[in-house]
Amino acid sequence: MLTLRLAWRNITGAGLRTWLNVGVLSFIYVLVIWHQGILLGMQRHAVNAMISDEISGGQFWCRGYDPFDPLTIEDSHQNIPTDLLSLIDEETATPILVRPGTIYPKNRMQSILIKGIDPDQRILDIPSSDLQDIPHRLPVMVGKTMARKNGLTQGEEFVIRWRDADGTFDAIEGHIVSIMDTIVPAIDQGQIWVPLADLQELSGMAKQATLVVVDQQVRGLPAAKNWVFKDQANLLRDVNDMVNSKRGGAVFMYIILMFLAMLAIFDTQVLAIFRRRREIGTMMALGMPRIRVIGLFTLEGILLGILAIGVAAVYGIPALYYTAQKGLPISDDTSDWGFAVASRLFPAYSAALITGTVAIVMITITIVSFLPSRRIAKLNPTDALKGKLT
Amino acid sequence: MIRFLLIGLLRDRSRSLFPVLMVSAGVFLTVVLYAYIKGMVGDMVDASARFDTGHVKIVSRAYHLRESQAPNDLALLGVDDLLATIRTIHPRMVWTPRIRFGGLLDVPDANGETRAQGPVAGLAIDLLNKDTPERNILKLDESLVRGRMPEQPDEILISETFGRKLGVPLDKNVTLMSATMYGSMTLHNFTVVGTVHFGMAALDRQLILVDINDAQRALDMTDGAGEILGFKPELDYADQEMRILSQSFNRRFNSAEDEFSPIMHALSEKDLLGEILEMTNIGGGIIIAVFVFAMSIVLWNAGLMNGIRRYGEIGVRLAMGESKGDVYRSMIVEAVCIGIIGSVVGTIFGILTAYWLQYHGLDFTDFMRQSTMLMSGVIRAKVTPFSYVIGFFPGLLASVIGTLFAGIGVFQRQTAQLFKELEV
Amino acid sequence: MNAIYMTALSCFCLLVLFFSPVWAEDLSGEEILKRIDDNFLSSGSISVSTMIITGRRGTRTITSRQWAQGTRKTFTHFLSPPREKGTKMLKIEDALWIYTPATDRLIKIAGHMLRQSLMGSDASYEDFMEDPELNKTYDVNISGTETYLDRACYVLELTAKPGSKVAYHSRKFWVDKERFLALREDLFAKSGKLLKKVTIQEVFRVDGRWYPKRFTFKDVLKDGDGTQIIIDNIELDAEIPEYMFSKAALRR
Repeated sequence: MLTLRLAWRNITGAGLRTWLNVGVLSFIYVLVIWHQGILLGMQRHAVNAMISDEISGGQFWCRGYDPFDPLTIEDSHQNIPTDLLSLIDEETATPILVRPGTIYPKNRMQSILIKGIDPDQRILDIPSSDLQDIPHRLPVMVGKTMARKNGLTQGEEFVIRWRDADGTFDAIEGHIVSIMDTIVPAIDQGQIWVPLADLQELSGMAKQATLVVVDQQVRGLPAAKNWVFKDQANLLRDVNDMVNSKRGGAVFMYIILMFLAMLAIFDTQVLAIFRRRREIGTMMALGMPRIRVIGLFTLEGILLGILAIGVAAVYGIPALYYTAQKGLPISDDTSDWGFAVASRLFPAYSAALITGTVAIVMITITIVSFLPSRRIAKLNPTDALKGKLT
Repeated sequence: MIRFLLIGLLRDRSRSLFPVLMVSAGVFLTVVLYAYIKGMVGDMVDASARFDTGHVKIVSRAYHLRESQAPNDLALLGVDDLLATIRTIHPRMVWTPRIRFGGLLDVPDANGETRAQGPVAGLAIDLLNKDTPERNILKLDESLVRGRMPEQPDEILISETFGRKLGVPLDKNVTLMSATMYGSMTLHNFTVVGTVHFGMAALDRQLILVDINDAQRALDMTDGAGEILGFKPELDYADQEMRILSQSFNRRFNSAEDEFSPIMHALSEKDLLGEILEMTNIGGGIIIAVFVFAMSIVLWNAGLMNGIRRYGEIGVRLAMGESKGDVYRSMIVEAVCIGIIGSVVGTIFGILTAYWLQYHGLDFTDFMRQSTMLMSGVIRAKVTPFSYVIGFFPGLLASVIGTLFAGIGVFQRQTAQLFKELEV
Repeated sequence: MNAIYMTALSCFCLLVLFFSPVWAEDLSGEEILKRIDDNFLSSGSISVSTMIITGRRGTRTITSRQWAQGTRKTFTHFLSPPREKGTKMLKIEDALWIYTPATDRLIKIAGHMLRQSLMGSDASYEDFMEDPELNKTYDVNISGTETYLDRACYVLELTAKPGSKVAYHSRKFWVDKERFLALREDLFAKSGKLLKKVTIQEVFRVDGRWYPKRFTFKDVLKDGDGTQIIIDNIELDAEIPEYMFSKAALRR
């Protein structure tokens, strides 16, 4: 207790120098947490968006379907198996039918995918209910990137052409009733969304689907013959891999910031011991065990770290809160990246992140405070009293 | 005088070595972090610039309106003349024509029958030319996974992922099925001589890299190119300059009447890239500023300490009759020397490390082995001219300022008091 | 490759039939269609044609020679421009192979490549693959008479029979009453939307039959004036050896 009080008095007594160090350390806390928060925010946001907009609890794909291989789309439609139908009836799954087609916005031909979705579905958090707007023969929903890249606007009409199950051309006027605000390219680019029943009817594929999205709550999935289940982990692998690849960069930055912290504390400690050698001598002469003197100096370093937590909290919490609320703008033209990236990035700060950062910085500080203090152990009290360092 | 002080510094290791080490370490970290942040900020737009937008991009007006679909029927023609002209007007810029195209790659079996087919995203670049800037722009040598770089016409690179998926053997013929700029179907044989991996999922899924001359032949685009990309020589994007460049280009070449007249756009004018650029610059700037400030405090603190611990010596010198002003000045000169030496040493090591990071990168791939995809986990720095200077802010200024403050104590104290602190 | 030509040929073969000297008043729609198919399927033809494609970048001219046996089998050999010369294409029912001398590869065209426009024309490979036996796949109705291009015409409306696998759900013909030549054909989607339009500008006589000389194929959903096709010469009822319709012939 005495050591603690002494340490506290020593560092508060040091005035400006203490506060400078505390300031530096607090920067380190805030920077590390902020940087990590951005990465975590990016991953969470992308993962959450993909889960809510695209994959939910996972997807059953009809055999042969490969969203990355357009050659497989033509034949990727099958009757929905009864096991999955019962899930759909319970509203814990929703089928999607994917058909190749052509649209003619402004009379220029463009190959796209037509996706049919139940307007009443609640599995995916996309505005499919807008498709219930039936005054138009074929209400169409497009993603915002698709809309922007092709200059499509709400209310615009264009011809959609496709072939039905018999290979007969059909074409109909599509009417954009909704521009979907999503960051998931897989449900946005190169495709249009229409009501499932319409697409099934128009393409002569009643009761058929290409994939079935299962709700997250569903436990004990049925095995559907000729359908392959892709779970969340499988479908999220790309985005997780991407974020992990950025982790290396974060580690690198921590290492540099930790060095900065080490430099600050080390410098302070070395010079403190140099300057306060007479004080050390006195304490030892008065009978304080060396270990406690070392403890005192180490504790002073640690107290700097703890004070820094307080200071970091004072300005860091509002600053981090602000960025978490307001987000940081980044591109939404990330089509080439092939995964969901938000146009506005909201850093996420988890409790684990904050405690982890604090723990790592504190451990670093403790070690760096202790290392120079070991010299005290070698001090001869008489020399120290005289102000000599041996 | 300076020589005297330098000798003094050299002889007294506690006066020189420790402070120089401190300053060097601080400067080193500053330089490395700065270069790393620059590399990271650059990375955000870099991929777009390198693969898509360039620093500036010239396309035809009609092409521009449908750019996302890479409509080669609306491509630029007369590209050789246009290139020659802009190379004369802007000789310092690197200009390189490209064609983006889609199609199917058909892999034959031993009998020449189709064994596998897959959709491709083609990028035609200046690949065969010995001095091609694209090797550097697309970092081709670093991205090569198997095989070698193309050397002969009709030799191509394909993405490693795609190659493995389709089972494309190296040094065997494959056939590209695509459409000419006039819309005819075209077949063209290529030999896959190498595979590349860029670490961007969408690209790596189906990329093929073709020489532009081959593509012009295959796609019936004689003297044509979808786009001409312009880069600053060191690939450092300078927004203001590029915007001015594109304005002057458009005044001269662009005509509202001709839908095929060329139009230039700077990277930041593309979609939201400008916004990211600004954001990353600001974000990176904040981190750097905060770091330099923090480092300055540390080094200032060190300077301060250096001054304080020498009060005894100063006492002696004052007692011997040196004036306070002289002592103060010599302290500052010493600090300047330490600052310079420390900053130079730190900058040298920092720049070396940064260059190493720029060219070799720090590979974190091993940490990500669980990932089934090949993934670039390589950290890269970017050395810019300012990297050579940045370290001097904390290194020189901060340590000198620290000494300036510490030195004030010399004036505040009596000679006797300082002398007492000597007591060696 | 000459997709427009092929599609056009399918309608144009039915135009051929109308030249038959029987008065149309005596025939029901079904009878007309049956004659179309009979005539069409039994005869082999060898023709040389020119296709003129007008795009935003100017005009291109492509010539080709084609051997056709009914609508099921066609073999096309491109003669010019130099770039296309030697390219061959074989269609047997719903399979399509293409061969180019430069690649020396035989490649089957499938999937989404079939939806591509060929030669930059208004026709796609899908159009090329279109080969209905009209009397089996369509119900026909003579809906009236109209004057078209200063000629008196019957208007025929064809609607796909339920379950028949055809590209166009309905078709409409304007048939010259005297010459029994369809001067215009409109092709519709299931929804009734007009998709393609074939119009004849010039006709000529071959072996006493009236034939289209010059006609336009237009994808009405797209901008532009469509693709013009000129039949330079045509030999009807030609004997075509069977090997012509083999993959080996592509490499010859």
